Amino acid sequence: MKALLHAELLKLRTTRTTAGLLLATLALVALTVAVNVPAGRDENAPLSLDDPGLQADAVGVSFGVPLVLVVLFGTLAFTQEFRYGTVTSTYLGEPRRKRVLVAKWISLALASVVITTATLALSVALAIALIRLRDGDITLTGHFWGVVASAFVVMAAYGLIGVAIGALVRNQIAAVVGVLVWMLAVEQIVIPAFPAVGRWMPGGATNALFQLGPAISLDGKLLPPSVGGLVLVGYTAAAVLLALVVTPRRDVL
Amino acid sequence: MSAIELNNVTKSFGHVHAVADVSAVALPGQVTALVEPNGAGKTTTLRMLLGLVAPDSGTATFGGRRYDELTDPFRQVGAVLEASGYHPGRTALDHLRVLTTMANLPQDAPGRVLAETGLAADARRRVGQFSLGMRQRLGLAAAMLGDPAVLVLDEPTNGLDPPGVRWLRGYVRRLADEGRTVLLSSHDLSEVELTADHVLVLAHGRLLRSSTLAELRAEAGVGSRVRTPQLDRLCSLADAAGHTYRRSDEGLVVDATPEQVGELAAQHGVVLHGLAGTADLEQAFFRLIQESNPAERLASAEGAPS
Repeated sequence: MKALLHAELLKLRTTRTTAGLLLATLALVALTVAVNVPAGRDENAPLSLDDPGLQADAVGVSFGVPLVLVVLFGTLAFTQEFRYGTVTSTYLGEPRRKRVLVAKWISLALASVVITTATLALSVALAIALIRLRDGDITLTGHFWGVVASAFVVMAAYGLIGVAIGALVRNQIAAVVGVLVWMLAVEQIVIPAFPAVGRWMPGGATNALFQLGPAISLDGKLLPPSVGGLVLVGYTAAAVLLALVVTPRRDVL
Repeated sequence: MSAIELNNVTKSFGHVHAVADVSAVALPGQVTALVEPNGAGKTTTLRMLLGLVAPDSGTATFGGRRYDELTDPFRQVGAVLEASGYHPGRTALDHLRVLTTMANLPQDAPGRVLAETGLAADARRRVGQFSLGMRQRLGLAAAMLGDPAVLVLDEPTNGLDPPGVRWLRGYVRRLADEGRTVLLSSHDLSEVELTADHVLVLAHGRLLRSSTLAELRAEAGVGSRVRTPQLDRLCSLADAAGHTYRRSDEGLVVDATPEQVGELAAQHGVVLHGLAGTADLEQAFFRLIQESNPAERLASAEGAPS
């Protein structure tokens, strides 16, 4: 398993897609924080990292793009193998396909830690810089650390779900377009318009974990963070199980 | 060294019977060719052997063990299935490093196989810039990473230029002479004739024949290709001796062995500029296929060489 995991990490490192997508994502994270943190706040009032609304803008909202990225990384981990036919040599090297799945899941979980750390470092540093510019307060509260912990959990879960989607859908265009349409259109429309339904979606559960209610005008309409966490764990477990059942049975033509 | 065994292997995709009840053996020290003029049977057979496609029934094994039961499969079996199994953005060396890492092979293995397959100078180029022939070589390099005793190659000459085909022929021959088991598939009968020791003929997913190339050649009937400045004289001599013949651009093709033709010419003082034996394997293959499926007789008769 160690060898398989090393091979998976090597696959991630040896194409330019990884670095390109990561850099583009971090640029968008910086843009999100730079636009959202000062927006809608009194120009003269000092900013405070203690303020849950500001935290939501600085940390939670800034994960919008990294979440899409980590799902795509997970999805591509499999669909690229099918697209380029490398899945054949992967399965020849490790015919027990469940082990391949597990190696990809672990590699994506590790990658999600790197992406989450980079995103947090950038978004928090930028938020602190913006707050400092206005002589604000940068006390870090328990609430802040709760959101940070959620970020690691949510990102890992999305990475695992991404791998499962790639393993199940296999067709790269269908999988990537499906993920983008779901995350950037369906959830973005359904969650605010029909919160009673939307809060049960993965995106709704994520918003609950990040405690984004007030920041996205859904105060009180999202699930409690703990329930949101459970819902997300449920989606992840379902995706993982489905991939474990289906993948070994499929013919690789 | 381990033999490849197929025991009553069957696979259908919907209503299409890709492989029907095939039993065959490929032995160490030999190049065994799986020949099928068209159809998906040979690729499906190789994929079942390698655990990529699950047979509906039957077993495919290496030395008695299924592929997924092998420990360290890369050290036991090397396979080349398609020339497209590469990420175009990865360098040849990185492609091999991924496989080496996955299979826990020595870190110097990529360098060794790149040198063996003549790709050492291109190690750091991205595979997307490779020609089809170079990708075939890289596939072989990957298959040889674990120095396996068994090689499974699906249409290995596809995309190779003539020098590449010649190189591959020599390479495969050397691997078999080292005692390895080589099973390759091909639709190219003339190539099989130059490479294989043993032939498995497949049509419509059924195994029509498993025999040595020599046996098949004997059954095909032997003819002679003759170049002579005294064409008309040789024709009348052949007529008198009861040999049928036909004229070709290069001279005369006589349905008799080179020995018979040579002696005939010598007895009557006919000058020969060239005399070579021909075994029309292609005809033999067509005959096998037609005998197995009379309904196809008409269709293949239209396309058969005259």
